[in-house]
Amino acid sequence: MIIEIGHFALILAFVLSALQSVVPVWGAVTSDRRLMAVAPPVAGMQFLLVGIAFAALMQAYMVSDFSVVNVIENSHSAKPTLYKITGVWGNHEGSLLLWVLILVLFGALVAAFGRNIPMELKAATLGVQGWVTAAFLLFMLSTSNPFVRASPAPMEGNDLNPILQDIGLAVHPPLLYVGYVGFSIVFSFAIAALILGRVDAAWARWVRPWTLLAWVFLTLGIAMGSYWAYYELGWGGYWFWDPVENASFMPWLAGTALLHSAIVMEKRGALKVWTVLLAILTFSLSLLGTFLVRSGVLTSVHAFATDPARGTFILGILVLFIGGSLALYAWRAPLLKQGGLFAPVSREGALVLNNLLLTVATAAVLVGTLYPLVLEVLTGEKISVGPPFFNLTFGPLMIPLLMAMPFGPFLAWKRGDLAAVGQRLYAVAGLALVAILVSAWWQGTDRVPAALGVGLAVWVICAAVAEILSRARFGDVGLSTGLARLVGLPKSAWGTAFGHAGIGLTLLGVVAVSAFQEEKVLTIRPGESVEIADYTLNFSGLARRTGPNYVDDVGHFDIYREGRQVAVADPAKRLYTARQMPTTEAGIVTFGLSQVYVSIGEVHSDGGADIRLYHKPLVTLIWIGCLVMSFGGVLSLFDRRLRVGAPKPARRKMAAAGQGGD
Amino acid sequence: MTLWIAFSLLTVLAALAVLVPLARAGRGAATAAALHDAEVYKSQLAEVDRDLDRGLISQEAAQAARTEIARRLIAADREAQRDSGTAPAAADAAAKGGATRLRLVQAAALVMVPLAAVGAYVVYGSPDLPDLPLSARLEDPAQGRSLPDLVARVERHLADNPEDGRGWDVVAPVYMRMGRPQDAAAAYARAIRLLGSDVRRETDRGEALVVANNGIVSAEAHAAFERAVAMDAKAVKPRFFLALALTQENRKDEAIAAWQSLLADAQGGEAWAEAVRMELAKLGVETPAPAAADVAGPSREQIEAAEELSTDDRQQMIRSMVDGLDARLAADGGSAQEWMQLMRALDVLGERERLRQVIARAGEALKDDPTAAAGIRDLARELGEGS
Repeated sequence: MIIEIGHFALILAFVLSALQSVVPVWGAVTSDRRLMAVAPPVAGMQFLLVGIAFAALMQAYMVSDFSVVNVIENSHSAKPTLYKITGVWGNHEGSLLLWVLILVLFGALVAAFGRNIPMELKAATLGVQGWVTAAFLLFMLSTSNPFVRASPAPMEGNDLNPILQDIGLAVHPPLLYVGYVGFSIVFSFAIAALILGRVDAAWARWVRPWTLLAWVFLTLGIAMGSYWAYYELGWGGYWFWDPVENASFMPWLAGTALLHSAIVMEKRGALKVWTVLLAILTFSLSLLGTFLVRSGVLTSVHAFATDPARGTFILGILVLFIGGSLALYAWRAPLLKQGGLFAPVSREGALVLNNLLLTVATAAVLVGTLYPLVLEVLTGEKISVGPPFFNLTFGPLMIPLLMAMPFGPFLAWKRGDLAAVGQRLYAVAGLALVAILVSAWWQGTDRVPAALGVGLAVWVICAAVAEILSRARFGDVGLSTGLARLVGLPKSAWGTAFGHAGIGLTLLGVVAVSAFQEEKVLTIRPGESVEIADYTLNFSGLARRTGPNYVDDVGHFDIYREGRQVAVADPAKRLYTARQMPTTEAGIVTFGLSQVYVSIGEVHSDGGADIRLYHKPLVTLIWIGCLVMSFGGVLSLFDRRLRVGAPKPARRKMAAAGQGGD
Repeated sequence: MTLWIAFSLLTVLAALAVLVPLARAGRGAATAAALHDAEVYKSQLAEVDRDLDRGLISQEAAQAARTEIARRLIAADREAQRDSGTAPAAADAAAKGGATRLRLVQAAALVMVPLAAVGAYVVYGSPDLPDLPLSARLEDPAQGRSLPDLVARVERHLADNPEDGRGWDVVAPVYMRMGRPQDAAAAYARAIRLLGSDVRRETDRGEALVVANNGIVSAEAHAAFERAVAMDAKAVKPRFFLALALTQENRKDEAIAAWQSLLADAQGGEAWAEAVRMELAKLGVETPAPAAADVAGPSREQIEAAEELSTDDRQQMIRSMVDGLDARLAADGGSAQEWMQLMRALDVLGERERLRQVIARAGEALKDDPTAAAGIRDLARELGEGS
């Protein structure tokens, strides 16, 4: 009965979303209060209904109810409870349900917390959210219904893809989806503004926090996915420029641009039309990602569905929403009023440069992702674009972006003084130069690009610190007042500092790993040892271990440094019995910020094994940087002030103070 | 019934989510948007003052911000005044169409929501199927009597006790019947490792490997058959497959010799003898036609084995024999006695639907033999399936 209630709730949610698509928007364009008032309760009700459906499906997984086809296909009674729960979204239908659940969650959040939003805007926004919800619920009910039953029910399921039987599945998709789908609400805001023909002050006020919320989750989701791939796939890579990764990276890039243009709009009333376009593009890229993953055009661990009917349906949704919203934009955008003028050298100007570089970078990733697919469709030729393409296009775009980044927060609104900012960044530039020289001396002069990369990272990190210190004006006001000022700084200022420093940390990790990592691939027999970096690994052999639904061969390594044992690593080669599918479980030991990484390949009959062994210096910074970035986003999110940016008088005195603060 | 009560509750809630706000919201047009803007700007002004008090911004910065906000505030006020000139007209227009719109939306909530939801559910849903949590099914003896369910139980048992050789031995032939020869071969291999090698296990393992290999006798299967023959030089099945291997390797003379030595051991009427004759015919050797066949019932060993087994296992064994007979009759045809044996067995197992099919098939197969067909009809009547 529970399952059928879930099914009915899902259908009812679809019917309500159809109603939601029409009534509030109708009310907004005819200024009818009663029709507009329908939007918030219906949004809440949809969340309740989809929530019931999701809970029902989860219950079916928990009790291994094999009368549900989705459970048969993706679960197994011997699976640990955690993976029974996460298995709910470890497949096409269930993850789509999670997708829609988050979609209606955002609708309900706007309904609940959007009290300050003008009625028309709120109604139209929730109406547009209703369009997206209705489209996806229709897609789910007609092609991917998770509540299809099987009768008679088998006694056992087919088990979940072993690669997905990991704590990563509990964290990565929900975070990522909150990010992906979170941009839907920004999209709905943008479309609502186009429908109403005005971008009012409240619009500008509300877009940034919603964007930030989605961005924080997307950042965490991507970082988590990257770490998961790193430890699960067994060859130590953390980013593969795989089309599916790009599918999540493109909305992130566009979302980052949106975040920054929303600041300009919020504070200065400028860039309104551009922000609306970015909001549309960001969610369009999210939809594109959904299409790539679910249409069967890609083959990867992420590719759930290979059913052409689904692909066609999603392509329809994609064309409808992207084409429709861009057409609406072309038609209505001229109605929107432009505001706030600014000089090229100003905070606004810096943010425009940021937007320019980020959108071009997004375009580069888009081309690299879609070109092979389009080529395959047109000519049947299979090519792989791969890292070299992205290193040649994306990389060079990031260099000017990161070099310019420290200047932005120092520049004044409306008109800035580049020379003055340059003066305040002298010390930071000096530190970066020292970092370049030190790393060149330490690692040898043949690694100049790596040294320059280290320098760039240090430049970005130190500038973020310098900026926040200069705001406290220690030189002017003394230590104690300075500290008080530091604490009292607006949270968004701290957010900026953490966000920018996080980028620098991630960059440092990426540079260190790509330039300085050591790798060994060898066959090792029990009793033998191998050296990497400063460490000696002693292999004492393999042991067979039986898990709940797998067996694995666990290797044991004792790790020594300068003759002292410092750690152990137990990498494993695992075989999931239900699907007869092997996976690798890497043995990873963290020393400070660096890691030693062992993974087992082929196991030999004499007890030996082929292993891959890495020393990855500063590798953890890649993900720590993402955490720091997200933390910055959270800080900024809690800055609830009604912010306004205005040009300030010349600030030569403060420039000196800034230098003192370094 | 409870299910439909739950559906009604959800539907009522959904309709109320539309109807209540419709009734509670005031009539008329919304506040002019420009007034909202003005409100935002006013709170921004207050915010600047607060920041200044806390010393977060300097006097000059605060002044600059105030100027900027004031500029926007004035613009918003001007717009609001312009709007207020047109507002009453807009309100009138809104009120005029308002009644129709209200009726339409109310009708949608009351009629469309329940109709569409229930209609779609009737198409897509399965209201008759109860939830089937696995734990409840495992405790319920009425559940899980079908072959795949039994296999699932045995598999669960074997996953926990992989050293149970007897279990592997029992499940292996079942795998064979279910069309999972690969699993069958693996299960036989484990049974051999745990219980020791004997003629039957080696032979059946070899057979499973051959079936898994699309009928080709691989080296591994060959070795298994040779081990079986080494234990019992007269065993028919392994010799059959070894002869088949010779045929496949195109060693014609050796193959003919092997087939003929097999045929020499035939008592007459064995199903395999017919196959041997066909193989020989393919190799260009004619053989005399077989003598009249007797019906082969279960052997003594099979009956003894059946008595040792638990009820479930016995059921399974009967089933396996029934399936075997059925498949043979379907493929090669057979005597009236064999058809009747199958009918009786199905009657005992209570598989009425299948029984009816078998009666029809028997009638079809024996239509040229009036006596046999009459015998089938009589038995059908006796089993309550007469027409």
